Amino acid sequence: MQHYLLLFISAALVSNVVLMRFLGLCSFMGVTTRVDTALGMGASTTFCITISAMIDWGVDRFLLEPYDLGYLRTVAFILVIAAAVQFTEAVVRKVSPTMFQLLGIYLPLITTNCAVLGVNLLLVEGKMNFIESTVFALASSLGYSLVMVLFAGLRERLALANVPRLFAGPPIGFITASLLALAFMGFSGMSTN
Amino acid sequence: MSEAGPTFSESDGQGLVEGFARVVAVEGGQVWLEPEQSSGCGGCHSAGLCGIGAAGGNAAKMAAKRFQLPAALGLRVGERVVVGIGETTLVKGAATAYGVPLITLLAGGILGQEAAGTDAMAALGAVAGLGLGLGLAKIIANSLSARGVLTPRFLRRAYTPPPEAGCHTEHG
Repeated sequence: MQHYLLLFISAALVSNVVLMRFLGLCSFMGVTTRVDTALGMGASTTFCITISAMIDWGVDRFLLEPYDLGYLRTVAFILVIAAAVQFTEAVVRKVSPTMFQLLGIYLPLITTNCAVLGVNLLLVEGKMNFIESTVFALASSLGYSLVMVLFAGLRERLALANVPRLFAGPPIGFITASLLALAFMGFSGMSTN
Repeated sequence: MSEAGPTFSESDGQGLVEGFARVVAVEGGQVWLEPEQSSGCGGCHSAGLCGIGAAGGNAAKMAAKRFQLPAALGLRVGERVVVGIGETTLVKGAATAYGVPLITLLAGGILGQEAAGTDAMAALGAVAGLGLGLGLAKIIANSLSARGVLTPRFLRRAYTPPPEAGCHTEHG
């Protein structure tokens, strides 16, 4: 169990998908103007990354590796991600149409989120078993959500701050993101091996 | 479809996530509204003028998102209104729709792995956990809907752009 806990902390904080691996930067800058949109996007992405990682693990282990089709990995994973997004959309609509109103708008954005593909490709690189890959995907996506919500909170406060005209908007956003990345570098001192 | 919810008073407007909706029908003492398709970034609130918002809205999908408000509000067909939900509603919705299935998925996967020690059993456990979690999520969502927690509330009337108006934002 300790192994899973260390894997979780490592994926969520030490090797954070946004601030350490620089994946999902488009949504990191685009969907973090408000905390509620960041939260909705983070939750939807977490679900899609975990589901797609489970399926991609099976596709890689039982299809791509045995038949030496590694060169099709990216295409196959993109296809699985698109299917996972459609599955998630159908599930949320079935669970509650009202929740679909609240959370459904974020789902189409996930298909083109490079963090989803990036996490799935990292799983292959890591040669993990099923449960390790699921824990890694869940932790990575929770780390992504954490950073999204933190950054959205900072940007909401920045919107009220008296920022010099040349730095207003995206420039101060990038400066804040770099400071947040520096703060997350503090986690790299934690040994999770 | 959600139940019609009461309106918020002016002082209740604090701590709400707001969105735009358009009245599509008034029948049987109820007003039917369709939420406007907005971009996921939430940065643009001009969906009424935005061609991307209009193109993105599949008619069948939009019809599935319709919800009701009481006709006593005096709304007319075609009118745009601002509706809101409590700030915690989004958290509750995300935790229910995504959090519960993910927790049961992980628990099922770890149980399968620890019990049999094989990837096949771990995968089977995870899929079973996911199914269980989705069932639980549906029960919780029904309970929340029955209590009106997830129901959008009317806040105020919104500006309705003329049909010939176009989108003139800086960002195109």
